Amino acid sequence: MFQLEQWFIQFLLYFVSPEAVNSFLRDPRHTAIIIGTLIAVSGALLGSFLLLRGMALTSDAISHTVLLGIVVAFLVLLAVQGQAPDLSSPWLILGAAAAGVATVILTEALHRSGLVKQDAALGLAFPLLFALAVILIARKVENVHLDVDAVMMGEIGLAWANSNSHCLENCESVSITPDDPRAQINRQCTNCRTLGISPRDEGAQFADICTNCGVYSPGQAWQAGLIATQPVLLFWPKSITVLALITLLTIGFVGLFYKELKLSTFDPALAAALGFRPALLNYALMVVVSLVVVGAFDAVGSILVIAFFIIPPAAAYLLTDRLSWMLLLSAVIGAVGVYFGYDLARGRFLWLEMGGLLAGLNRLFGLGLSEQWNSSISASMVLMIFFLFLVAWVFSPRYGLVSTLVRRAAQRRHFADQVVMGHIYHHQGQVAEHEELIILTLHHHFRWSPRKMARVLARLRSSYLVRFEKGLVLLTPQGEARVHRFRQTQLGRNGQSMAQNLP
Amino acid sequence: MMQLTAEDRRVWLLIGGISLLALLFIPFSQLFLNVTYDYTLRTVALGGALLGVVSGVLGSFAILRQESLLGDALSHAALPGVAMAFLLAGRQLPWLLMGAAAASWLGVYFIHAVTRSTRLKQDATMGIVLAAWFAAGLVLLTYIQSRSDASQAGLKTFIFGQAAAISRQDVQLIALVGGVAFLILGLLWKEFKLVTFDPEFAGANGFRVYLLQMLLSTLIVAAIVMGLQLAGVILMVGMLIAPGIAARQWTNQLGQMVILAAIFGAFAGGTGAILSAVDKDLPTGPMIIVVSFVLVLLSIALAPGRGLVWKWVRLRRDRQQFAAQTVLRELFHYAYDHGSLMTPVPEKFILGVGGPAAALGLRRLREQGLVQPEGAKWQLTPEGIKAASHTVQNVLLWDIYRQFGDELGLPLVAEDRQQDIRHLLSAEAVARLEEKLAGRLG
Repeated sequence: MFQLEQWFIQFLLYFVSPEAVNSFLRDPRHTAIIIGTLIAVSGALLGSFLLLRGMALTSDAISHTVLLGIVVAFLVLLAVQGQAPDLSSPWLILGAAAAGVATVILTEALHRSGLVKQDAALGLAFPLLFALAVILIARKVENVHLDVDAVMMGEIGLAWANSNSHCLENCESVSITPDDPRAQINRQCTNCRTLGISPRDEGAQFADICTNCGVYSPGQAWQAGLIATQPVLLFWPKSITVLALITLLTIGFVGLFYKELKLSTFDPALAAALGFRPALLNYALMVVVSLVVVGAFDAVGSILVIAFFIIPPAAAYLLTDRLSWMLLLSAVIGAVGVYFGYDLARGRFLWLEMGGLLAGLNRLFGLGLSEQWNSSISASMVLMIFFLFLVAWVFSPRYGLVSTLVRRAAQRRHFADQVVMGHIYHHQGQVAEHEELIILTLHHHFRWSPRKMARVLARLRSSYLVRFEKGLVLLTPQGEARVHRFRQTQLGRNGQSMAQNLP
Repeated sequence: MMQLTAEDRRVWLLIGGISLLALLFIPFSQLFLNVTYDYTLRTVALGGALLGVVSGVLGSFAILRQESLLGDALSHAALPGVAMAFLLAGRQLPWLLMGAAAASWLGVYFIHAVTRSTRLKQDATMGIVLAAWFAAGLVLLTYIQSRSDASQAGLKTFIFGQAAAISRQDVQLIALVGGVAFLILGLLWKEFKLVTFDPEFAGANGFRVYLLQMLLSTLIVAAIVMGLQLAGVILMVGMLIAPGIAARQWTNQLGQMVILAAIFGAFAGGTGAILSAVDKDLPTGPMIIVVSFVLVLLSIALAPGRGLVWKWVRLRRDRQQFAAQTVLRELFHYAYDHGSLMTPVPEKFILGVGGPAAALGLRRLREQGLVQPEGAKWQLTPEGIKAASHTVQNVLLWDIYRQFGDELGLPLVAEDRQQDIRHLLSAEAVARLEEKLAGRLG
């Protein structure tokens, strides 16, 4: 991991100076947005397939059960190594991935018994695994800091601080041993505390303790004043590396198996018949999902991570009918949400400062709210993504609320025009003309309100489809042509309705 | 007069049994698990049992409507309501619960609205509500925390529940809300049943389906909000659906299912709470979930007719029967070809023809006394000869039926050679088949 970072940094330094990189990454905003974007991209790619497969909530289940994987792997490592393992150990990530697959297997086993529906099976499996994890944590992991709050909420704003330092120049690490002239030796009593005696008492034993011995990295050595020249260091947040790797893996997986994923998503039976092993692919997908979930844990927490899997693909699904566009769009929506979400956490909604809003609320209701808006970054990112979903829901050109309303209104208008013109066509030139086509009473024949009829007639008249003559409504030649055309396209050749010709 | 079927009797027996078990569990835990029933534990256990009843009953409807995960989405969706109530009214339980209910209810409304107006499926919209509402809650919560020095304990309590903090008043509240919910359920029982099983039919008959569904969802919201304190956000869904799923295995009637779910819920809630008192480290919510899951597993395995164990037993019996019949016919043909039906048949021959299944069949035939060993050979007993000729003739009759059934004008029956064709057809039809067979053989 460290080596990979170094290679990448070498590459980066062809273009920019180390100072620039440092100051860029030191800004919590930049690091948070980079990490959020990585999560958003991998979540969106995988989430699109989950959504289309009707497995959107599987990511929810997995995000909870990976906790069990982490705890079990933790306890196994504790038993094997005899000491608490590092919480970023790859074994824990593997354990989490295994738990993700276990969730899917348990769910499918319950479902395949034929006694439990799919959604119910999921709702049984993940609370159980989560409950086991909580019990295990409570029983076994006593003195270990497995911070549940961090698991639930994440700390994307602090990601920049947890970094590896890479030394670029003047890299001199120092190691001080007790016989080094720089070593500071203190003579201390070794058994005073245990026996509860004073160093002056008899029986006190002494030993030389070196207080500053150990290995100093270049940065530490400079701070301790052990080397003369300041080393050039570059601080690289660990999460960026982990998530970049996971994102690359995701992109590679989706790119490599795009055809197979597409086929098994839209037609699993055909995929199976063609020998593509959709079940195996499904498990592979679950493994990748678990990895992304685990990777995103530190940053956004286990509950919010599912937002990155579900909401951007749902928004994209309302905007497009093509899978490739859906993948791209959902990644973009996720990334945009992340970008503006950070500002939202710091009190800015898009380009709108929120301090004024809070001040207004205070003045109106006297709530005494703090006007300093400072809130969870990851949650704000999710809210921003949700906002984008709302925008897509309302304004989507094809499936949005507005366009649906507009389309329905147009259909209503079109229908009203057609029936009125049909009515006129039917009676025009007939004996009953003087009863059926009177402008002032026409609405009775349709049981419409006079106003509605007036609106329809005005519209038809302004497009020269009807004319008014001696208190009657009659079709103009254009109107007659329109009805003819309608009858030809909508009705059968000899004037019968097509519906009558159907078997 | 209502007739009790065998299934009804079984269900009532089960209800009695579980209730008895629950009562026996109290002295058992006192004697063997060293549980002391102090005030706290009595309150928590009572609360758990009551909550189990409420959520079990209402969860049954969620399961039948295939909205099992609604509980998960709505429990998460309560957070912004709790935070908002805290922001406006401070730490007062009734307001917090009202806030939670309001937020969850908005979530339900949003789920319905989006699912109805777009092509997104319900699972996706539930996921959206879950995540977005929870995020809104977190934003509010972090805002509250940045304002005052309120600790994060609030969030932790919300997520994991805090069973130990349950007070007498809380239990009374659960009982009250549950009572109101059951009253509504009782009054609108027929309507709820209809919209659960056949919403289109209900709509065609002039019932306000949407309104009824929202009302039912509202009741579920009430159960969830009550349960958050005890079980926490994540485990609430298990508490809601596990009793119903277990109950579903035992009966096909809604009324019985609901009562059974109530009993299962009470059992899981009560014993889970008591078990968590065995050791101070055992959290209550997760213990309740584990007990519920055990109930589900037992039900899935043991429920008469449906259960996996019965299915397995039935499958095994059928397989043995099939193997036995096959071996019996092999023995008959071998002996027949060698002149006498008493001819012993080498075991190697039987196993060579039938493989491992033949061994199974032989064992079963021997148990039935149809074959007897003769050194390394097997011989048909007199009863065996009778049975063998019977089954061989049956197969021959099936052959004839398949070939000439139409020609003889016989009625159509599904071909199943495990069954005796002489029982499926009329005596007269069988006589015609036998005549045809005699003609073919002779």
